[in-house]
Amino acid sequence: MKGALKHLSPALACCGLLLTWQLASLGLKNDSFPTALDSLRAIPPILTDKEALINILASLRRMAIGFALALAFSIPLGLLMGRSRATAAFFNPLLMLVYPVPKAALMPIIMLWLGVGDVSKTLVIFLGVSLPVIYHSFEGAKAVEEKMLWSGAAMGLSAGERLLRIVLPAALPEILTGCRTGLVLALITMVTSEMIARQSGAGNILFNALDMGQYDTVFAMIIIIGAMGICLDAVFETIRRWLVRWSEPQFDMPLSFS
Amino acid sequence: MGVTPIRPGELAGVPLGRRPAEPIIEIDHVSQVFKTSSRRDHTALSNISLSVEEGAFVSILGPSGCGKSTLLYIVGGFVSPTSGTAKMKGKPITGPGTDRGPVFQEFALFPWKSVLGNVMYGPLQQGMNSAKAEARALELIAMVGLTGFEKFYPKELSGGMKQRVALARTLAYGPEVLLMDEPFGALDAHTRTRLQNDLLEIWERDRKTVLFVTHSVEEAVFLSDKVVMMSRSPGRIREVIDIDLPRPRRREELLLDPRYQNYIVEIERMFDDSGDNELPS
Repeated sequence: MKGALKHLSPALACCGLLLTWQLASLGLKNDSFPTALDSLRAIPPILTDKEALINILASLRRMAIGFALALAFSIPLGLLMGRSRATAAFFNPLLMLVYPVPKAALMPIIMLWLGVGDVSKTLVIFLGVSLPVIYHSFEGAKAVEEKMLWSGAAMGLSAGERLLRIVLPAALPEILTGCRTGLVLALITMVTSEMIARQSGAGNILFNALDMGQYDTVFAMIIIIGAMGICLDAVFETIRRWLVRWSEPQFDMPLSFS
Repeated sequence: MGVTPIRPGELAGVPLGRRPAEPIIEIDHVSQVFKTSSRRDHTALSNISLSVEEGAFVSILGPSGCGKSTLLYIVGGFVSPTSGTAKMKGKPITGPGTDRGPVFQEFALFPWKSVLGNVMYGPLQQGMNSAKAEARALELIAMVGLTGFEKFYPKELSGGMKQRVALARTLAYGPEVLLMDEPFGALDAHTRTRLQNDLLEIWERDRKTVLFVTHSVEEAVFLSDKVVMMSRSPGRIREVIDIDLPRPRRREELLLDPRYQNYIVEIERMFDDSGDNELPS
């Protein structure tokens, strides 16, 4: 009974939200606030339109490239910072300066320098993802037990091997927490970058529809982007759980055996 | 003060031909000075000289804060002494090496590896092929009594089991010296006793050199050929006592043995006289 309720509750929440939306929209009778039903009805035409699909896929491609590049750069940097005081002393002030700046605010300058194409947008996504991943990799590497590294050194692992084969796996749960935050930020910066540099992408469809007063399409796009976020997060969470299954709480009950 | 060389024949129970001869570890006038958080110098170790003969089980016994673990880390090559030298088989120790295997109180297992993966790690690192490494690991897992737990992750194991894995993992790559840093310090009394018995049984089979840090007098006397007593502030060696008890040792026999009881009383009295145990750590 309880299990069934647990599975049903997200569906119930969705239905509740849509119902509230429908009633509020019918009550308010405002052109810029279409009903839930109208918005849902606007989804299939978008998903069957070739042009729109190309746009959405282009968004996802930029997001994937920006995200992947950010991980390839940020995880090694964060780990190095966590294990080398000099590296941390050099990069920490820089990062503290960059951290609170909204990455979308850099978009106009980046556009000025690199144009409105893929490079600018991918760069903004890269910047948005990098910081949480660096921060979590740094914290994860810092927390690695010294004695674990000593054990590795006694087995003959060199400093580089220790970073790759002890610090990286030991910090993995923390790194992946950062990556999960990074994934959500990738989606956010992806849409914002397309709103600023209006040329292609999911964010562009949304704003074009807004300009043309097609409010049901605007809401349909919001639902599509939201659904993409939920799916990506679910897929990532499955991968994350599998990668760090050794640290999951279900293993937290040691056997009673001396 | 400090060094009491063991003469041949002093170790009761050591069979002929396996008599400890050359010192395998030589610690020569080692001092270690740390900077405290208030930027003052703290002398953790002051002018320590000690030699450990091959095949001997030597305990370093002292109150917390006497630098006994630091001394072990210097032999392990994890910490460099401020002055003096430590040598392994005549060569100065400059860093960690596979000839010296540590076992820590904190276990320090690799949590992302199973029991088997942890124990295989050293042999694989040494270039052994995986079939051979696995066979070697399974042998050691059986030796520490964990057959059937090969697939378990460290998080699923109790403290005593983790320390068994840690011991097997270190033995697996065949170090010549075991460096044990209060290995049973985090365990409850019952588990501790069982692991002491098992360690002794394992050790009495191949008599690897062991340097064993502990603050338990009974543990030191029960296990060791030689007990190095340290005092603190600054950490120095105050006495080296040979434990002349027959091997193989069995706890139930030793507990009734007046010689065993005398060693314990004698050592505890020496610590009490110095008032060392009363000092805050």
